[in-house]
Amino acid sequence: MTEQIAIHTEGLTKHYGEVKALVDLDLDIRPGEIFGFLGPNGAGKTTMIRTILDEIRPTAGRASILGMDTHEQSVEIRRHIGYVPGDLAMYPNLTGRDTLTYFANLRGGVEWSYVEALADRLDADLDKKVGDLSSGNRQKVGLIQAFMNRPDLLIMDEPSSGLDPLVQREFQKMMREVAAEGRTVFLSSHTLSEVQRVANRVGIIRHGKLIAVEDVAGLRSKAIRTVSIFFDSPIDGSAFEGLPGVREVSTQNEHATLSFDGQMETLLKVVTEQFHVLDITTQEADLEEIFLTYYRDEEVTA
Amino acid sequence: MLATVLTKNLLDRWKGIAIGAVSIGLLLLMGMSAYRNIDLSLYTSMPEAVRALMGIAEDTDAGGLAYGAIYASYGALTLAALALSMGSASIAGEERNGTMGLLLGNPKSRTHVLASKAASLIGLTGVGALILWAFGEATPALLDVQIGGMHIAALAWHMFVISIFHGFLAMAIGAWTGRTGLASGVAAGVMVLSFIGVGLFPLIKGLESVAKVFPWYYYSATEPVLNGVDWGHIGVLFAGIAVLALAAVVGLNRRDLRGQSTGVSLIDRLRANPMTKKVADRLAGSARVSRIWIKTLTEHQGLLIVVSYVEFLIMGILIGPMYNWVDEFLIDMGKSLPEGLLSLFGGGDLGTPEGFYQIETFGLMAPIAVMVVTIAIGARALAGEEANRTMGLLLANPIKRSKIVYEKTVSIVIGAAIVGFATFSGVALGSLIGGLGMSMGNIAAICLLVTLLGMVFGALSLALSAGTGRPRFAAFGTVGLALVLFVLHAFLPFSESLAGLAKWTPFYYYLTSDPLLNGMHWGHGAVLTSLFVGLVALSAVLFDRRDLRQTG
Repeated sequence: MTEQIAIHTEGLTKHYGEVKALVDLDLDIRPGEIFGFLGPNGAGKTTMIRTILDEIRPTAGRASILGMDTHEQSVEIRRHIGYVPGDLAMYPNLTGRDTLTYFANLRGGVEWSYVEALADRLDADLDKKVGDLSSGNRQKVGLIQAFMNRPDLLIMDEPSSGLDPLVQREFQKMMREVAAEGRTVFLSSHTLSEVQRVANRVGIIRHGKLIAVEDVAGLRSKAIRTVSIFFDSPIDGSAFEGLPGVREVSTQNEHATLSFDGQMETLLKVVTEQFHVLDITTQEADLEEIFLTYYRDEEVTA
Repeated sequence: MLATVLTKNLLDRWKGIAIGAVSIGLLLLMGMSAYRNIDLSLYTSMPEAVRALMGIAEDTDAGGLAYGAIYASYGALTLAALALSMGSASIAGEERNGTMGLLLGNPKSRTHVLASKAASLIGLTGVGALILWAFGEATPALLDVQIGGMHIAALAWHMFVISIFHGFLAMAIGAWTGRTGLASGVAAGVMVLSFIGVGLFPLIKGLESVAKVFPWYYYSATEPVLNGVDWGHIGVLFAGIAVLALAAVVGLNRRDLRGQSTGVSLIDRLRANPMTKKVADRLAGSARVSRIWIKTLTEHQGLLIVVSYVEFLIMGILIGPMYNWVDEFLIDMGKSLPEGLLSLFGGGDLGTPEGFYQIETFGLMAPIAVMVVTIAIGARALAGEEANRTMGLLLANPIKRSKIVYEKTVSIVIGAAIVGFATFSGVALGSLIGGLGMSMGNIAAICLLVTLLGMVFGALSLALSAGTGRPRFAAFGTVGLALVLFVLHAFLPFSESLAGLAKWTPFYYYLTSDPLLNGMHWGHGAVLTSLFVGLVALSAVLFDRRDLRQTG
């Protein structure tokens, strides 16, 4: 495990002519965390990743990975990272095994037994040619390629595209294991539900600008929940008035639906003291809704 | 739909056609202006038969030679090559890119799609032929050269039809198989072999009529630039085109469309068989991916095998015995030709085995063969990985960009060496079989020089590839530049004042020392080597400095 900041960027900026793909990005990713990098398509996620990997050079600003400059020490950096590009493409004429052998040869120090173990976990077919694989199965080869050298930092651009739900779950488990070992995961995605399941922190990027970095736990506390309560007798909406966190109430006979963003404990205490509750369900708003609620406005004001 | 597909194809392809046609037009301009400096007595002293062979009208000004030497052959080859690349891309290319399904998601039949593709092929080739015609008419006027008795429009029309023929050939093969590589490979093979065949067989007594089996015969045999359109021959080509069109319709409608899958090669079958799995795995699997340069070479194995085979068997072995069959009359005639003129064909004397090999094998075909391989490798080396979006993965490994450039360079060197060696073995065997008694050391020398020449152009395409990240630009740019340099090399010596400039083309350091007669010219070898090294170093610098491209 390394104690250095996993990824550090300072005023990182990339312009393509008039297009400002990345604007003044300051970001620190701590070792051992899973960082979700979120943003709509074309927000600058891939540009950021390609810049810190030295595929493209910043217009301004600088970045370091594991304490090393991303341009000057890019070769050394790449010893310590695993990378899954977005829109993954590989050599169609090679089998999965050939592909992994190729990259293992280039990299050195890859244990083949670990590759086999990863392939087992992801249920990957390494004997077929990559060109004959479906996109999800091709993605598995890409994932194994990134994990196989046990990197200190995994940089993955939309890594779970095409994976079926079972494999996605296994993949999430693999990411958590990486983090548990003190290694770091940088996960770019536009699907919030995935990030929500694994990430400790998320950064949100729009139009090349980082507009927020939040703890997932903190975001959740901001969450608006939909609470449905069934009582043993018809209920009146006025019963919930003045309760902290209750935003909207609708009732229909014995059934009440609340829009709620306060402390669940307080709500339960009040309700159970006064009424006889038969059933209660709460539906957690996912990050998607939170973003829509919080950051749509920020974008407008930004 | 027809209009939509046509428009899209026009937009996709017009640049290639325009660049190709304009370059050939510029070649004509250059060639013709070089010719203006030639001593005219050279032509008046030429036997009638030779003039006909070269496509020069009796009453023409020196400028007219340019049509025979440049336009009729390079122009037609270029236009046909562009047409066949369009033809192979038309159906098979859409399948390879995975866009065929999208296209057929519209309520149009496969035949309809094919018809649209065919129409755009014809349209674009027509545009190319029109540009060539316009250049052909304008150039003499511009340079104030008389071209009495030349039928430029007829030449352009013949070019158009032979190009459509090759385009449809590639399209039909693509429609039957869905493989772009196969389609363009076979069609290009047919084109090159028939170009050679039409040049070679008329030289051999008793076999003159064999030339008629080659499609190219119906383009060039009647010298349209001198004699106007031969409607009989055009009719033969049109009949061929009709058959190919029908074949394309049948082929496309009868088969399953291909996904983006890659097809099964022989080595795949061997790997699937438990008996041969172990050996094949080692061959195709672990060995192939052990180094970047080996993997790069295996990506071009098909091309390497075909080119080496042609060089070894046809341009090497077959030419030897053939020398003994060449018509005595032609040999005598060759002896009577002015020396300067022969440089067009690589400057050989038909009367000696060395001269015959120089004209048939080393003048044009051997450099083309090596350069096809090296340019293909060089152009795709870096830009190809970027276009296929694999460069990001490759560079996620702890290797420097320059290391990738050098690995790719190794594959260029080995690719060139393989073709060079195949040529050497073929020519050496051909000389033995034909009893020609050529010096082995000299054969080795000329093959080494052609290998070095190929490496120079491979490195040039590598540099363009490194600098731009665009494989097509790198390939076409290098081919265009090579063509210009070759023509300059061939024509500059005609002009006394400009002859010195020929030293500025790499071709000068290949054949000028007559290595087949005089052995290795180490100084020239050193010049080519330095050029190669310089271009590779430039590639490394260029590649290291720029942003990687995200898409092709």
